[in-house]
Amino acid sequence: MIDLRLDRVGKKYNIRGNGSSPRRWYRSVWPSRSAEMWALRDVSFDVNQGEALGIVGHNGAGKTTILKLLSGITTPTRGAITIRGRLAALVEVGSGFHPELTGRENIYLHGAMLGMRRSEIARKLDSIIEFSGVSQYIDVPVKRYSSGMYVRLGFSIVAHLDPDILLLDEVLAVGDVAFQAKCLDRIAELRKSGCTIIFVSHDLAAVYRVCDRALLLNRGQVVMEGAPRPVIDQYQHMAFPSDDRGFKELDAGRRAECTSIAFTSSDSDLSVRTGSPMVARLSYRAAVTIPDAVFRISLYWPSGYLCAQLTNDSSGHRFTLQPGKGSVEFHCPVLPVVPGLYRVDVSIETNGVEVDARQRCATLCVEAGKPVSGDFYIENTCSVRPESPTI
Amino acid sequence: MTTEDDASLVVAGAVSEPGVWPEGNAILHSSGRPTRVIGPPAFSLMAVLAGLRTLFQYSDLLYTLSLFRLNIRYKQSILGWAWAALQPLTLMCIYTFIFAHVTTVKTGGAPYPVFVFSALLPWIFFSGAITNAVHGLVTYPNLLTKMYFPREIIPLSYLAASFVDFLIASGILLVLMAHYHATLTWNALYAAPIFLVLAAFTAAVGLFFSAVHVRFRDVGLAMPFALQLWMFAAPVVYSVQSVPARFQKLYLLDPIAVLIENFRRVLVFGTAPDAAQLAFSTGITLVALALAYLYFKTSEATMADVI
Repeated sequence: MIDLRLDRVGKKYNIRGNGSSPRRWYRSVWPSRSAEMWALRDVSFDVNQGEALGIVGHNGAGKTTILKLLSGITTPTRGAITIRGRLAALVEVGSGFHPELTGRENIYLHGAMLGMRRSEIARKLDSIIEFSGVSQYIDVPVKRYSSGMYVRLGFSIVAHLDPDILLLDEVLAVGDVAFQAKCLDRIAELRKSGCTIIFVSHDLAAVYRVCDRALLLNRGQVVMEGAPRPVIDQYQHMAFPSDDRGFKELDAGRRAECTSIAFTSSDSDLSVRTGSPMVARLSYRAAVTIPDAVFRISLYWPSGYLCAQLTNDSSGHRFTLQPGKGSVEFHCPVLPVVPGLYRVDVSIETNGVEVDARQRCATLCVEAGKPVSGDFYIENTCSVRPESPTI
Repeated sequence: MTTEDDASLVVAGAVSEPGVWPEGNAILHSSGRPTRVIGPPAFSLMAVLAGLRTLFQYSDLLYTLSLFRLNIRYKQSILGWAWAALQPLTLMCIYTFIFAHVTTVKTGGAPYPVFVFSALLPWIFFSGAITNAVHGLVTYPNLLTKMYFPREIIPLSYLAASFVDFLIASGILLVLMAHYHATLTWNALYAAPIFLVLAAFTAAVGLFFSAVHVRFRDVGLAMPFALQLWMFAAPVVYSVQSVPARFQKLYLLDPIAVLIENFRRVLVFGTAPDAAQLAFSTGITLVALALAYLYFKTSEATMADVI
């Protein structure tokens, strides 16, 4: 059953004249062609009931436009959108709040804006207040709220909407850790109850984790559709073009540079898995002899924190690079990091001076291997040693 | 997380039968899920009917928003609700001074304060609602760019809020009439249908200009000036009877003039309204309301893009 269908949808924006300039008022009535901008062009896709679709793409690729079209804020210039069921958008929660009204009054107002009846809101009021965790301040005008309380109350209302289709836009990026966990729990709950989810995010790991299928947008067009993994790979290939463009030659005066990075597994299927061996191969090109070379491959969590670093510095083993091409390999007998996507930085140093540094030049995708709970897989052997019974 | 993903995949795979409508299915919270089709903005009657249906679905929002408008309006003000009475009373005092003492306006026998107050009531309802409605859509652009609900609810909620002010001021009028020993007759009941037409005309003007204002802010700038002109063009401080006969026909074209004149007539003079005039104004109002709503709904589709 299809819950959502976009049929050759196009959206044109008139980016110049918006009527606010009195001298150019006539432009907004008869806009010149050059002022037109197609935010979406010929976008078609279906979303089945209970499916979670991720939409990825650069800034300006049309993601927000799709959300705005789906939530009815604006209408397409061409094509048609069919929506079956109640759709709720978790986009910039709390933007409909009136600062002068109390939390309780805003629940009624915001709930009504989302299409809830007063009786429905009254029935769910206690549960909404409870979930938001701002019950102490529920009769205080929201202008006195902290931004966190604002968002929690907003999310709480949307979470009680019982939508058939839920639009999510970077919501996981707001609020504190406890609130994020609560959001994720609620989203998981909705998914279990058969709610269809459209998830727009730059957090690729979250898209990978939440979605069944993904869509890659580029300049308003769908360029790829399929399982999240290859779509995300393709997006990252576009975002940080590896090999040729991500490692493009910088300037002639550079003494050495990184030319590519590859992560491989010793397994036959070539995917890197937790708890399995991994080989990281960093290729370089040196123009002159580089003494005391130190290579670093840094892996970052999606949150931006450094997760781990591979370097020959730690072993105290330094290389002298001869002019020409070459590569350095790091062999990891057991990969301890959990499944997910890691951003990769690489650098070459000589005598403590950076020769080349490439940030976010590649992505390491670690797939599920040995089961892990927590942040790392700890290689171990285990045995039981009963104490010898006393005779 | 993996087990959950797998479970959902099964759900997605299990319900791929096209055209089958699951009934009483536990995963559907609302029984009979409505299907909506969003297409390019079109100037069609069907779209307007669909818009009316949506407006009806959102009637609770109109109620809630109107309630809170009143609630917010007098928050953090010392006089609070007294403001609703203060504005017409002050205007009444100044006009009484000018038109009863400085110069004299023929009122047809009614005391001037009652004469002018009974016209200020509908006028303030109209001008207050229009002023707020026109600025309403652009005051909180976030509402337009981040959420969807039928946009006409915003101007209409100001209309509802003005109605409450109107009721408060009506109470003052009754006190005033009692003070001047003016008595109400059964003809006063005509005030209700007259007000209804006035509200419809206010809605038409409010909807149209609020939608235009989103595109051209000139509307908001011209509004105070235009309303002032309109007030003097309508028989608020004077009577239509004092107008030279050759201009009187022109007043028929202005529903506000007709409605105000007849409102005063049924309340203060206790005579029956001019049915022909009212019927004509009602006709103009209905056409204006239909056109204004049509324009508003067509313009609404791209409001979020131009605001």
